Amino acid sequence: MLTFVGLGLWDERSVTVEGRDAVRAADRVFAEFYTSKLAGTTVADLEEHHDVDVEVRAREGVERDPGPVLDAAESGDAVFLTAGDTMIATTHVDLRLRAHERGIETSIVHGTTAAAAAASLTGLQNYRFGKATTLPFPYAHGGDDVPASVLETVDANRERGLHTLCFLDIKVGHERAETDEHMTASTAASLLTEAGRGDDLGAVVARAGSPDPVVVADRLTALAEREVGDPLHLLVLPGGLHHIERDALVELADAPPALADERLA
Amino acid sequence: MRIMGRRKKIVQECEKLMDRPEQIRNIAIAAHVDHGKTTLTDNLLAGAGMIGQESAGEQLAMDTEEDEQERGITIDAANVSMTHEYEEKNHLINLIDTPGHVDFGGDVTRAMRAVDGALVVVDAVEGAMPQTETVLRQALREGVKPALFINKVDRLISELQEGPEEMQQRLQKVIRDVNELIRGMTEEMDDIDDWTVSIQEGTVGMGSALYKWGISFPSMQRTGMDFGDIIDMERADKRQELHERTPLSDVVLDMVCEHFPNPIDAQPRRIPRVWRGDADSEVAEQMQLVDDDGEVVLMVTDIGVDPHAGEIAAGRVFSGTIEKGQELYVSGTAGRNRVQSVGIYMGGEREEVDRVPAGNIAAVTGLKDAIAGSTVSSIEMTPFESIEHISEPVITKSVEAKNMDDLPKLIETLRQVSKEDPTIRIEINEDTGEHLISGQGELHLEVITQRIERNQGIPVTTGEPIVVYREAPTQGTEQVEGISPNRHNRFYVSLEPLDQEIIDVLKKGEATMDMPELERREALQEAGMDKETSQNVEHVFGSNIFIDDTKGVQQLNETMELVLEGFEEALEDGPLAAEPVEGALLRLHDARLHEDAIHRGPAQVIPAVRDAVHRSLIHGEVRLLEPIQNVRIDVPNEHMGAASGEIQGRRGRVDDMYQEGDLMVVEGIAPVDEMIGFSSDIRSATEGRASWNTENAGFRVLADNLQPDIITEIRERKGMKTELPQSIDYF
Ligand SMILES: Nc1nc2c(ncn2[C@@H]2O[C@H](COP(=O)(O)OP(=O)(O)OP(=O)(O)O)[C@@H](O)[C@H]2O)c(=O)[nH]1
Ligand SMILES: [Mg+2]
Repeated sequence: MLTFVGLGLWDERSVTVEGRDAVRAADRVFAEFYTSKLAGTTVADLEEHHDVDVEVRAREGVERDPGPVLDAAESGDAVFLTAGDTMIATTHVDLRLRAHERGIETSIVHGTTAAAAAASLTGLQNYRFGKATTLPFPYAHGGDDVPASVLETVDANRERGLHTLCFLDIKVGHERAETDEHMTASTAASLLTEAGRGDDLGAVVARAGSPDPVVVADRLTALAEREVGDPLHLLVLPGGLHHIERDALVELADAPPALADERLA
Repeated sequence: MRIMGRRKKIVQECEKLMDRPEQIRNIAIAAHVDHGKTTLTDNLLAGAGMIGQESAGEQLAMDTEEDEQERGITIDAANVSMTHEYEEKNHLINLIDTPGHVDFGGDVTRAMRAVDGALVVVDAVEGAMPQTETVLRQALREGVKPALFINKVDRLISELQEGPEEMQQRLQKVIRDVNELIRGMTEEMDDIDDWTVSIQEGTVGMGSALYKWGISFPSMQRTGMDFGDIIDMERADKRQELHERTPLSDVVLDMVCEHFPNPIDAQPRRIPRVWRGDADSEVAEQMQLVDDDGEVVLMVTDIGVDPHAGEIAAGRVFSGTIEKGQELYVSGTAGRNRVQSVGIYMGGEREEVDRVPAGNIAAVTGLKDAIAGSTVSSIEMTPFESIEHISEPVITKSVEAKNMDDLPKLIETLRQVSKEDPTIRIEINEDTGEHLISGQGELHLEVITQRIERNQGIPVTTGEPIVVYREAPTQGTEQVEGISPNRHNRFYVSLEPLDQEIIDVLKKGEATMDMPELERREALQEAGMDKETSQNVEHVFGSNIFIDDTKGVQQLNETMELVLEGFEEALEDGPLAAEPVEGALLRLHDARLHEDAIHRGPAQVIPAVRDAVHRSLIHGEVRLLEPIQNVRIDVPNEHMGAASGEIQGRRGRVDDMYQEGDLMVVEGIAPVDEMIGFSSDIRSATEGRASWNTENAGFRVLADNLQPDIITEIRERKGMKTELPQSIDYF
């Protein structure tokens, strides 16, 4: 049996009760933190909290060499953990399909995801979000700017009045990065400013799921100058604003009222 | 005024002449090894008053390096300048003395880019030799006009005791042979009509560089000295008198001024040959007209290190005027470099001047990003054609610092070495500390490692020389699928082996991604590529081509950089033994990509493409190629059997045997691998009576029965798994 458990957003306590039970009952616990990680805790704390050993697998060990995970699931109860939800950012549906190919039963325990938090913290309504996108570090996509497809996604959403959720790149142990690197919202805003989008409205969400999340909305040029503290950060590029959304951004995210008004649909 | 020495005066004279391109000649002296280039150069310098008469000749003043003196050969091309009065006008002659040993052929190719005329020296006794042919080809390819000097004529008289008849015949034969080569090589060059040389026209000089006398048709008329007189005086040992009555330097320098083109004549012809930028642009016109007010355009042909001034970039100024303080672009690098000083070569030494205008050879400091072959200019422009040396490195040696402390210095030195000599390839491995140097031959590598030890004072241990291999596909394939680790991205690739003609075009740099698309297409089509394929060329890497045949694949555009990275990685390390791949045309037919850039990043795309390329190479029955050499042995009749045995015993093939003078010539080919250690074997096989020449002649498929062993050997050496992928089952 292979159970995919989403750990939620912040620390060892963000998991659902159902997820906690699954972790504690498992014979082996695997995890990957290259897609994202729990900013509010460490693997050691996670292990201590649940009193289990967590075997963290690098990208290689999931994508190229999933054998050990599948073997464990074949012979006993294995749990596969990720931050957020296991099927949203990096979809581990591939791993699930491989398990099915080998006749292994699977199930999913959901976790809260960044996508949900972005809507709930900013007050922007979930049904008004369009396609999401990821802003990669320039060195990671082989160019030195914002990839055209990212801008196209934003524009296509805008045209239809929809918001865009922008995940920000994280690099764990990348050969060209000194330490683990999380793209900050200010870096993202300045990349987009360089791509000519400086006047656009953006909403930054920092440390969603923690006791003190930060939410700020302003022009991207202004956000590029603003530091909002520790990771992880998200960036939302609002499309047209419903009047409740406008009020929420001003009240909850300190958006300059005049700027928010420009976007009223 | 005594303080203003003679040298200072000459510098001033040169500075004056620099601004009169009609009075400038840029020339190279090139020849087969030991035919007397350096002795001649010394002579010209002495004749022009740049060095003392005594130091010329026997001492080889221009072979300044310690190892050059020891080995008695030239290793580095040397720049020298001198002035010479001809027809009442003073001339500035910038001359490059080039090495003759094949291993240093890269220096010759680069020198040819800087000059407009090549004085080809041929030893009267040996006649035209393999390197004579090579240097002629190098000159003509660059649009450089040849003239001939037949050297060591004293030996015909004093040593071989030849009479006028015999001598005449021998000299005529040298001229005929050289002309045959020139004719053959220029046949298809539309911009060159007749560049054969002749005594009557004055484009042939003869004499003795060692004893400093020479004659030519014009000199005979001027001095009244004919061949008979010369034979008499040489026989009577009146060499000093002979030198005084018909000095070699006058004969040669007159010939240089009269027959070699000045920059104004040469550049309109040479620029289209060596530069593929927009012919209608302003800078094209400025270069053709040698416009000293135009944009600065310098082609760097040599990088040297001066203990005081640091790195010096020498090269030809094709347009504009180069001056201290200019901020210049260096091709292939971002940003600009600031010119710290400019100079010219006086005698063999660098002399700083205020400015060097178009048409001259300049020595520049401050161009820290420049390497031999860089285009340096005041505007961003299409770079000059790369000066590809005709033959690629074939032999490799590992170098390790004896003391760990020297490691950083060794790495720095190796980087410097490859900047100075582009025919060298360096692979730096900071993890193991075992670096690899690849070069043109055993001597080449020996000289370099010796210089690292001596000049840099870094004690090193070196491995045994090993040859460099290539991997090449032998047949075409169906589409092969490459899947990314996350399985969200797929690439569909097929492979075709390239025809030799296209491979040659790529190796010679006649179809590159730097050139305008139309020209590249034309060059490829001319070599036999079909039109549609030539239109879809997305990348050229070594002698491999990548074709994008996809139609409307979403987001492929912004992923292409990574696709090409995967393509390059796969071809740098082939599937058999991680040796470079050549002659593969890879065609991308289709691709499936993940929506989001993060899921089609480098960790996904590069391995997927790499995998597709390697699998298609294996389907295309990739095989190992080994470098081969042309071998020529000159040997007395009684040792001919032993000599040809030495070739045949080395997996070689004898192609021709014929008599030349009193010697037999054996010609053939053999693998470089087997030729390691040839020198001592042939010496003992022929009691030291043979002289021989080798020349790299490209790569050849290794026999199937040898493939598995050699592949295993290389894999072991590189610390790879020794067993091959299972799919390689065709040996
Ligand atoms: N008899 C005789 N010997 C000569 C003459 N010119 C050169 N030599 C000798 O030939 C040998 C080679 O001369 P170099 O001037 O070093 O020849 P090179 O062409 O510069 O040699 P590389 O640069 O190594 O290719 C030396 O021993 C010279 O003294 C000549 O005119 N007559
Ligand atoms: Mg020499």
